Amino acid sequence: MSLSKLANIDRRVFYWILFIALMVPFLSPIGFPITIAPNTQDLYDGITGDQVNEGDVWIMNFGYGVSAWSECHPAVTVCTKALFREGAKIIFIGIHYDVELTYNKLQDTCSEDFADKVYGEDYVFLGYMTGGESVVAQLGSDIASVFPQDHFGTPYGDIPMLEGVEDHTDIAGVLSSDTGDYGTHFMTQWQAAYGTKMAEIGIAMNGSTDLPRWQAGNFFGVSVGSRGGAELEALIGELGEATTAMDSISVSHLLLILAIILGNIGVLTEKLGGKK
Amino acid sequence: MAYPTATLDVVGLWVGWFLMLMIYSYPLYKENPAYRTAEHMFIGVTLAITAITNFSNVMRLCITPLMQGNILMIVPLILGLLIFTMLIPEYRWVSRYPIAVMVGAGFGLGIRGTIKPNLQDAIIDTITAPSGGGILDWFNYLWVAVGLVCSIMYFLLTFEHAGPLKGPTRLGRLFLMLALGGYFGNTVLFRFTMLTGRAQFFLQVLKLIPM
Repeated sequence: MSLSKLANIDRRVFYWILFIALMVPFLSPIGFPITIAPNTQDLYDGITGDQVNEGDVWIMNFGYGVSAWSECHPAVTVCTKALFREGAKIIFIGIHYDVELTYNKLQDTCSEDFADKVYGEDYVFLGYMTGGESVVAQLGSDIASVFPQDHFGTPYGDIPMLEGVEDHTDIAGVLSSDTGDYGTHFMTQWQAAYGTKMAEIGIAMNGSTDLPRWQAGNFFGVSVGSRGGAELEALIGELGEATTAMDSISVSHLLLILAIILGNIGVLTEKLGGKK
Repeated sequence: MAYPTATLDVVGLWVGWFLMLMIYSYPLYKENPAYRTAEHMFIGVTLAITAITNFSNVMRLCITPLMQGNILMIVPLILGLLIFTMLIPEYRWVSRYPIAVMVGAGFGLGIRGTIKPNLQDAIIDTITAPSGGGILDWFNYLWVAVGLVCSIMYFLLTFEHAGPLKGPTRLGRLFLMLALGGYFGNTVLFRFTMLTGRAQFFLQVLKLIPM
């Protein structure tokens, strides 16, 4: 086969190889080493130890839908576990219409930690909100006006945990996990406006935007994609979904690099052949 | 999380598995009726859930308080309804009012929080020299400084990019290409992770790996 044919391989061949190759590490884990990035370490340090007091109320924003579970959910799982183990209380909110599925998934992935906690006293699920930056700003000045009741219909005032929790001053920190802009909205409307402590659990695509904000001090920590989730799992000492998936992701990257090299060899050979 | 045992959950799992394969039949084979069926079902179901969720949200946040006597809720309700005048060509101009309110509120709120984190903090972080660290920190600092200045110079459109401006603007274009390449790389990384999640789901449903 002439090397120039490498530039014209049917892309479906690559897709088939990729889809099959991604499954292999799940069946037979490779165990690539995982080092901890400083931004992930900062995130973990910010939600553990003396950074969290017992009884502190934190907001966990599910800014991702089911399609991004593999990217965001492992890190959200670790952060929830860490906060619960420090004795913090958590308000769960979300901006995707499928937020209930994500909340249910979290109850599965953190089942042991949720088992020790009481709904309404240690955590609460306020549910879905919409309205972009305006609703995040409103949340900072009056939480009950955005969520007059929780997801299950209990009035805000009847939830014991939310007694005295009215606005940003009653919130110790915000963790926003996003595929979109809500982390930025919390940064502009909470962190910048009131100095609220916040961290971002973003998808890999947002890493380039989130990391400069961590460096500038707007976020106290950042978790980037599945990789961030795997690092957090290593930090808490409980390997989970992200660690398992990292081998598969690494294989996909190696395949992509291989495809780029082969494609370039093909194009170069074609060009050199053409010149002759 | 264990493999579901309830009949409905198992059925749901297998329906999801087959729909996933129907969708992937497009990149793995070619456009076909199975793909189109799954695509149309996905769009239909998504729109239905979105409509129901948002309708419930309006009921919860606006209609219910209004019924309970919070008369001020009539304002957002009217503004929201006016948006629908967009559907009547002769009254389309009315929809500009609610849009103007939304844009105005958005700009106002955006400006409030944008200047400090997106300008002030970012600039301070960029121009602050590393207080400690090694040679790599200084290299990074200078790299960012040169990249920033040259990239901004690339957008200097009132002068021709020739003479003394030729070198820096070309370097700026190179930095911009690197940045865009980085963004694109991260996007690919995200898509691959999503695909990894589907590969995992594929094996989990077949009980080849634990759920």
